Amino acid sequence: MVDAMATPFGALGASSFSGLRVVEMSGDPAGELTGKLLAQLGADVVKVEPPGGSPTRAMGPFVDGHRDLNHSLTYWFYNADKRSVVLDEGDRDDRAALDALLLNADFFINTFSQLDVAANGLGYDVLREKNERLIVLSVTPFGLDGPWAEYQTSDIVGLAAGGMLFSSGYDDHSIPPIRPGGNQGYHVPASFALIGALLALIEREHTGRGQLVDVSMHDTLAVSPELANPFWFYPKVLVQRQTCRHAQPVPTQSALYETSDGRFVYFALILADPKPWASMVEWLASKGLAADLAEPEYSDLAYRQAQFDHVNGIVEVFFLLHDAATLYHEGQERGLPIGPINALEDLFEDEHLEARGFFQDVAHVDTPAAKYPTFPIRFSSIATPAERRAPDLGEHTEEVLASARARSSEDPS
Amino acid sequence: MTSTTSLDERTPRTRTGPLAGIRVADFCWMGVGSVATRLLGDFGAEVIKIEDRTRVDMPRRLPIYKDGGKRSYGDEDPNPDPNRGGLFNNYCRNKLGVTINMRSPKGRALADRLIAQSSVVTENFAPGVMERWGLTYEHLNDVSPDVIYARMSGYGHSGPHQGYRSYGPIVQAVCGLSSISGLPGREPSGWGLSYMDNIAAYFNSAALLAAIYERMHTGRGTEVDVAAVEVGVSIVGPTLLDVSVNQHLTRRPDFPTGNRLEDQMAAPHGVYPCDEKDRWVAIAVFDESEWEGFVRALGHPSWSHDERFATQAARYAHQDDLDELVSTWTSQRDPHEVMSLLQYHGVRAGAVQNSQDLCERDPQLDHRGVFFELDHPVIGPALFEGVPLSFSTIAPDNWRSAPLVGEDNEYVFKGLLGMDESEFDELADEGVI
Repeated sequence: MVDAMATPFGALGASSFSGLRVVEMSGDPAGELTGKLLAQLGADVVKVEPPGGSPTRAMGPFVDGHRDLNHSLTYWFYNADKRSVVLDEGDRDDRAALDALLLNADFFINTFSQLDVAANGLGYDVLREKNERLIVLSVTPFGLDGPWAEYQTSDIVGLAAGGMLFSSGYDDHSIPPIRPGGNQGYHVPASFALIGALLALIEREHTGRGQLVDVSMHDTLAVSPELANPFWFYPKVLVQRQTCRHAQPVPTQSALYETSDGRFVYFALILADPKPWASMVEWLASKGLAADLAEPEYSDLAYRQAQFDHVNGIVEVFFLLHDAATLYHEGQERGLPIGPINALEDLFEDEHLEARGFFQDVAHVDTPAAKYPTFPIRFSSIATPAERRAPDLGEHTEEVLASARARSSEDPS
Repeated sequence: MTSTTSLDERTPRTRTGPLAGIRVADFCWMGVGSVATRLLGDFGAEVIKIEDRTRVDMPRRLPIYKDGGKRSYGDEDPNPDPNRGGLFNNYCRNKLGVTINMRSPKGRALADRLIAQSSVVTENFAPGVMERWGLTYEHLNDVSPDVIYARMSGYGHSGPHQGYRSYGPIVQAVCGLSSISGLPGREPSGWGLSYMDNIAAYFNSAALLAAIYERMHTGRGTEVDVAAVEVGVSIVGPTLLDVSVNQHLTRRPDFPTGNRLEDQMAAPHGVYPCDEKDRWVAIAVFDESEWEGFVRALGHPSWSHDERFATQAARYAHQDDLDELVSTWTSQRDPHEVMSLLQYHGVRAGAVQNSQDLCERDPQLDHRGVFFELDHPVIGPALFEGVPLSFSTIAPDNWRSAPLVGEDNEYVFKGLLGMDESEFDELADEGVI
């Protein structure tokens, strides 16, 4: 089992997903990541771009020395594993080509608002007349209807309106809430869009018909602030943000400890549970740094809680005397949940990710191979494809249109 | 908002939805697993949550109570009523609840009988726990041929750190998401929530649905291994490629960049104070036309014509000055008022909403019915986070709030497994169920 998980699934043969055709017209990372996730499952994702390219092609960071449409790392991140087709909406032949693609598609991912749909005629009501099996994944900032439906968004605006931003920042509340990083405002709706896509696919197995899945970034974020919502549903209290740890109704102890190499580890010092307490004291004692913590009076919970500041001071010194990697591995070996605040460069050195073969080398046309994260869902008996580089703009226009033409001449329905 | 279901409708009934007819033996606990399997229950699967009466699921114990007042979630009551916990109710709606003592041989035999009647088994323990109970994929596949076995751990079921302990904040630290969040030159602000519990749960729901779809086609089951740390790394974003492709290291004095963007010249781009204490609004202006809308919304203040703000590049270069002026304007206003005024002028802006705003003030969530209410015999009526997806032909089947401890023992053990009265009583007396 373990060995099977560590090897690529090439030997398993094609999965049911490899036969699925996806047409994607996304103008933002939420729609683009939705397409990428389906591609990572094995679907053939054709990204349809305007002649100027998807907006993400103009977003940095760029490959050093190449500031052009084919070297945006934002585009690469969100569009790996897809094919790129350029179609000009205003051109009659191109529009016919798009219609041909949609005629045989299983999914149509788009980020159109209702106003866009009114203008481009690519609404679900029109499309289902020609292809009743089509599943339309509409991924928009606020959803297709409602008073905010035409509002604009961005990562920070989405996180603000959806509630997650309110919980994130520093203990010092003169500092505004701080955006938690990595474009997660767009990634949450993409993960729900994948769920919606699969539910619609399962439903289609039962009925033979596709449907419209309306994914609102705002809705998906609003159900995701974790404890903040139940704290309102039940005691009707608001949480307050606290540095790098859970926002809570009341202030709690810091969970960041500085280490000898100038880094931080995350560790919640909880004195209530006797087992981790004993592990902690044993660990400190093994380095001769337990001070008085091994004294019998500390076995009494009330006593050690009364001494919290003293205990915490000893733990702070202990952490300051060791480097982050030592603390992580020694603490975890002793059963203590400790995590280093890894910088992104640390991930490529991580022995665990390495052993699991999580990163994969991917080369571009004129750029040497670099490590890419892979699809984080592993199946023992469903093949998922290896990572492939993002396409250059219009790289697959010819081949995709030729096969779409061939298909529609076979099947004139 | 759907109406409250009445309490006399708690007996399990036939469910509707694309997953109707699929039975799940659910060993999940805490957040990740429970949120992942909740989605299956929402869409018609019969999710049977298996708990240990003597070691109830942690969310049953956390003091998130209607009358709990202001206290941290770590501030537990000494002997909490396991049926009062709001977080458990939130995580386990639409699921059935049974109790099995897995440390007893009879309990493990009973679990096998339940698994034999199920086609999906789910768990999110640390690696080794299910194995200790004999519940390997091979065994499950013998008991229930072509079973789907979904395993949702922090580090996955292979590799040198598979036994490491984790929960949301640890995963966020290890996968890099904490380090990329904060102001430059100081400790990270990270995440004020277990973001990774939710997002890993969403990926786990997707993994289960993918496995179910594949089995509909091929008839084959599968084991699923999702490591939360890997989910985190996979969604760290484009900055990860900046590191791997350009060797542009993130451990440097000007990173992370707080609320400002590094790779796009957005300005103003930040979170600005409003008229009341700790109320804020986020504003993001990316290009000339958005800037024009912004200036129009503010009524063309004289500073907007200053040459420091003449172009997007100039505004980006003078963000400190610009932010001060924007703050002066926002600080006299209500965050929702700023949001609607700016949005009217085509500017991306959002009130920094708290959970009260989401439930009581947000007209969009209200319109789309995102939160809904269900009654609960101990807790009473409560709000729930609905599935944030709107389908044209399917809908969640919200049939019941979370189960009481062992609420469905009779229905499941007698009804589904055909256990007779005397065996049921015997197992109850022996503390097996």
